[in-house]
Amino acid sequence: MTKEELLQQVCGLADGMTIQEQSNQPTVNVPVEKWLSIAKTLKSDQRFQFDMLSDQAAIDWPQENQIELVYQFYSTSLGHNLMVCVRVSRQNPIAPSLYQLWPISEWQEREIFDLFGVRYSDHPDLRRLFLEDDWKGYPLLKDYKDDFMLERPW
Amino acid sequence: MGLITDQMPPMIEAFPGGPAFLTSLDSIINWARSSSLWPLTFGTSCCAIEVMMAAGAAHHDLARFGAEVARPSPRQADLLVLAGTIVKRMEPRLRTLYDQMAEPKYVIATGACAISGGPFIYNSYSTVRGAHEIIPVDVYVPGCPPRPEAFFYGLLTLQKMIREGETIRKPNERRKPVLANLPPGLTLEQLRKEMIQNLESHSVTKFSDKPTGGF
Repeated sequence: MTKEELLQQVCGLADGMTIQEQSNQPTVNVPVEKWLSIAKTLKSDQRFQFDMLSDQAAIDWPQENQIELVYQFYSTSLGHNLMVCVRVSRQNPIAPSLYQLWPISEWQEREIFDLFGVRYSDHPDLRRLFLEDDWKGYPLLKDYKDDFMLERPW
Repeated sequence: MGLITDQMPPMIEAFPGGPAFLTSLDSIINWARSSSLWPLTFGTSCCAIEVMMAAGAAHHDLARFGAEVARPSPRQADLLVLAGTIVKRMEPRLRTLYDQMAEPKYVIATGACAISGGPFIYNSYSTVRGAHEIIPVDVYVPGCPPRPEAFFYGLLTLQKMIREGETIRKPNERRKPVLANLPPGLTLEQLRKEMIQNLESHSVTKFSDKPTGGF
């Protein structure tokens, strides 16, 4: 399957999905309320067979008041990959957990919860991963500040 | 050093020319300590690769200075080589490692991160700004990361410091050598004069000059 065919077929799964142009690999934007069912299809459908979740990341967009969750998928049987961007609101970031589909995402989601504060619903063990348990705030948000930090003087 | 003063007071008392005996004993002990430093490698980031190159690889042979026996256990080491960024969560572990080392113990901090926090000094929520906030540091080796030669310079400086350093009469007192490895007979004034001459001789650049390299 070529890149264009893959994008066409993925976008045909549900309404509201768009292709992200400025990317060197196939990338789709998915609305958050449809994300869990689409993820199930991406894993089980014979056309896609994305059995590997290579990476999970998050980007903070303070001007647009959104946090973007980025998922990297790879299919070991068909050899194609796909990037999925899901945007959640910055005030109340709630996203579905993919733990039931790809168990690796348990720790990935704990890391994103630790540094960005995204709450994953149905996550089995949503605790901080890197920082201390009594840490306040989420340090990779752009407006994070604490007493320890030195402000850059210029 | 406390061990010797505790174990050998009768010897010291019985010896009439006490100072002479003590001085020579000091120099032997300090020579032995300086020539058999066993480093504990505390490598947390990229500086560790450079120190590994200095310590483990054949090209820059660290065994020349008697410090090649890198130990993974603090109980067997007396030189703590801090190589890399120290984050807040590492802070108590580093303190524990330092406390577990046997006296006398020495610390070399290599690289910008271990000296001051380096590139992470501003707007960082996790980086400790310098190893001196946690443990006393004897020698700093600047660089990002330092070359193996710079690490060797730091090690030789520490050896010089140990040789001229602690005595039985003044335990836990170390003197940092200034300009440790200058050749004998060379003063700071001469260096400064030479530096000014060098700078002035290169102060004019002619842009019409053709490049002299063989490109």
